[in-house]
Amino acid sequence: MAPVKPSFSKALFSGVIMEDLVFPYPKMEKEEAENVKMMIDTFNKFAEDNIDAVKFDEEAKIPEDVINGLKELGFFGLNTPDKYDGFGLGSTGFTKMLSAVSEHDGSTSLMLGAHQSIGIKALNLFGSEEQKKKYLPRLVTGELVGAFCLTEPGAGSDAAGIKTKAVRDEKSGYYVLNGTKLWITNGGIADFFTVFAKEDLEIKGEIQEKITAFIVTTDMPGVSKGKEEKKMGIRGSSTTEVYFEDVKVPFENIVGERGKGFKVAMEVLNSGRLGLAGGTIGAFKEIFKTTLDHINQRKQFKKTLAEFEVIKQKVAQITIDIYAAESMIYLTTGLVDRGDVDYSIESAMCKIRATDIAWEGINECLQMAGGIGFMKEYPYERNVRDARINKIFEGTNEILRMFIALSGLQERGEYLKKIGKALRDPIKGFGLLTDFAADWVKDRIITGRIRDVHPSLMNAKKDFENWAKNLRFTVERLLMEHSKEIIYREMISYRIADAAIDLFGMIATISRVDTRIRDIGADKCDKEIKICNAFCEQAWRRVRRNLLMVDKNNDDYLREIADFISEEKQYPFNTEQFF
Amino acid sequence: MNIAVCIKQVPDTETKVKISDDKKSIAEGDINFILNPYDEFGVEEALKLADGGEVTIISLGPDRVTSAIRSALAMGAHKAIHIKSDAVPADPGATADALVAVLKEGNYDLIFTGKQAIDDDHTQMASLLGEKLGIPAVNVVVKLEVSGGKVRAEREIEGAHEVVECPTPCVISAQRGLNEPRYASLKGIMAAKKIQIEAKDVNPGPNQLQIVEYNYPPQKSAGKIVGDSADAVPELIRLLNEEAKVI
Ligand SMILES: Cc1cc2nc3c(=O)[nH]c(=O)nc-3n(C[C@H](O)[C@H](O)[C@H](O)COP(=O)(O)OP(=O)(O)OC[C@H]3O[C@@H](n4cnc5c(N)ncnc54)[C@H](O)[C@@H]3O)c2cc1C
Repeated sequence: MAPVKPSFSKALFSGVIMEDLVFPYPKMEKEEAENVKMMIDTFNKFAEDNIDAVKFDEEAKIPEDVINGLKELGFFGLNTPDKYDGFGLGSTGFTKMLSAVSEHDGSTSLMLGAHQSIGIKALNLFGSEEQKKKYLPRLVTGELVGAFCLTEPGAGSDAAGIKTKAVRDEKSGYYVLNGTKLWITNGGIADFFTVFAKEDLEIKGEIQEKITAFIVTTDMPGVSKGKEEKKMGIRGSSTTEVYFEDVKVPFENIVGERGKGFKVAMEVLNSGRLGLAGGTIGAFKEIFKTTLDHINQRKQFKKTLAEFEVIKQKVAQITIDIYAAESMIYLTTGLVDRGDVDYSIESAMCKIRATDIAWEGINECLQMAGGIGFMKEYPYERNVRDARINKIFEGTNEILRMFIALSGLQERGEYLKKIGKALRDPIKGFGLLTDFAADWVKDRIITGRIRDVHPSLMNAKKDFENWAKNLRFTVERLLMEHSKEIIYREMISYRIADAAIDLFGMIATISRVDTRIRDIGADKCDKEIKICNAFCEQAWRRVRRNLLMVDKNNDDYLREIADFISEEKQYPFNTEQFF
Repeated sequence: MNIAVCIKQVPDTETKVKISDDKKSIAEGDINFILNPYDEFGVEEALKLADGGEVTIISLGPDRVTSAIRSALAMGAHKAIHIKSDAVPADPGATADALVAVLKEGNYDLIFTGKQAIDDDHTQMASLLGEKLGIPAVNVVVKLEVSGGKVRAEREIEGAHEVVECPTPCVISAQRGLNEPRYASLKGIMAAKKIQIEAKDVNPGPNQLQIVEYNYPPQKSAGKIVGDSADAVPELIRLLNEEAKVI
């Protein structure tokens, strides 16, 4: 792959604003936009007749004829290049598509996402020409369904700790694969697995265990699947264990380089997280729509619910949150579609923000519905259940925050070089970050300011610049104070990550609205301007609080309390009356 | 068989229509336009009957209508003609004149329209085309057989089905039930992009109808719940009789 430019947000930790990466707000090419719109129209028509989210949830299954219908129409080949009979959607188009699918059903979206965003993504990104020719044409038609096998019973967040073993036999030209993979989406319906396993590699005269990615298909003897898991949400989607018992996998089935499997997995997830973020928002928008119908009809105290201020606050907050999250998502997919930018932490930011606001916001939708929100007859409770997983898989939101903070910190030039190795060591998951070309930033005119935006967004812009600067100061101070110990200061990293997410949210929203003003004029954008300013106002206050709390906090107390409670292994206090 | 399908682009059924300030048109700003649903039955029937022949899509309107044309092409139609016009005339007769000019240039065995366009609901086009072309027109068709230059069509009439026969060429207006329109596959969508839509400048005929003004329908008053058990039935009957005056 071509060398990547540093990411906008990583540079931001160094006080550098790479404004040409975020201005103007990216647009899909007209041609692709038209295609996507037609694809969404087709999906909507199919969904109206065939997708029954209530039934899929109740029966914990997507019926086979529905899956076959989706295959026949081409929905398994969305983001595979047309060279291999796919439909060549870029990241923006693909994410919009998943968002549209999620408006009808989360399970269906997850099935399509697991196949295309992660199941066959390694093949698309890193596969050889022969591998692509061999498998992709059958994967785009859904003749083969893909799945992504990383997680194991002993290795979830710490994915580098997997135990599945691949033993290479030079004579036969085969590996022998043994191991168990856990909670594999599409497990029950998949025929094509991207499997991550460890093999012994000689590096500088030493034998080391390194991860390699393999293509494993169900026609290979020794591949088997567990029963369907019973889940809280996205119940229509298939989730199973997958077992590999002395599976013979030919050398030619290695995806990418030997020993570089971890990088393969992380790259796949980097792009997968954007589809997940987009899908999450699609479902959120749909239940929000249902809620708006309800609150404008339901009357209490002789008024519609929508007339009460507390309800208004919820409605406005959801609107602001969705607007900002989508601004982040489609700015990032635009970066992906440019093709030369490191977007790893932006995609993590999008995933965190989208799944957090959706979880809170969908709960608020249920709350606004009142008692009916709790009833199975209505879609609110299912949407709450479906939304919950999004904060957990494809990297938990906690782990992703550590990833964002430590990547940003690691990029902070001179100081960090000294501690860089330490940063990389304890959590191997962050190993990818070393690619960053620090020099690339150095050679540029360092600027802490962005170009002029429309006067109506001026305050938002100044707040962004101001708090971006403060992020850099805080990061510098932090590194001087904690040096390599920062890796253990997760509470601080968490705040740094949240500050960075808000800053990215601000610039994404400003860019989107400013670009729209340039396109259609400010008088037609008054609603967007209000939303942007409201978001930026909320965001910089959160940034301020998070940065202040880097120094002023009671983390020591919290650690102590957590430690002694963990030792007790239960909540040990009783109210005094009982003594 | 060579078949023409005349289609119209209409606002999505979910559109919340806003009337423009001068009351003479609807504000198009945020409207999502779609292929008229009844026209889809026409496209589907044409595709089923073409049997090696060509299906040509014809539509009149501003540039935006090409997206409805693409939808029909994505279903599998072979050719398309876009009659360029700044707006769709208020008078269906004027639209029919333009369509007829184009239809005369082709050699079509069958011409389909939808039973009605769901925006202005004139329900006239098939009859107008038949009249102006001097060929039979059969309206509201739910079943169709074509063989040996003859058409046997079942049409919906009040409380019954009427079966008629006529020679081809003729005009058929399609009603729900005629068939199950196929979904455009992604392959179809991509293939449709490669088809060149032929643009034509034809002046629509004179407008004999003029739109005086649009008005919103009167606000519906809120419903009333009389009760939820059998006890409520007498009161319900009384209200339906005396207040609503429907029974
Ligand atoms: C429905 C479903 C579908 C899935 N599909 C797939 C799939 O298709 N392919 C696949 O490979 N995997 C899949 N997974 C696995 C998923 O990615 C993991 O569950 C996830 O990565 C978390 O790992 P874990 O469950 O082992 O949690 P753990 O790693 O045990 O984490 C538990 C908690 O501890 C926190 N935590 C862990 N380490 C730290 C740390 N260093 N600092 C702070 N907090 C920490 C986590 O954030 C979390 O809150 C799926 C899971 C589910 C539930």
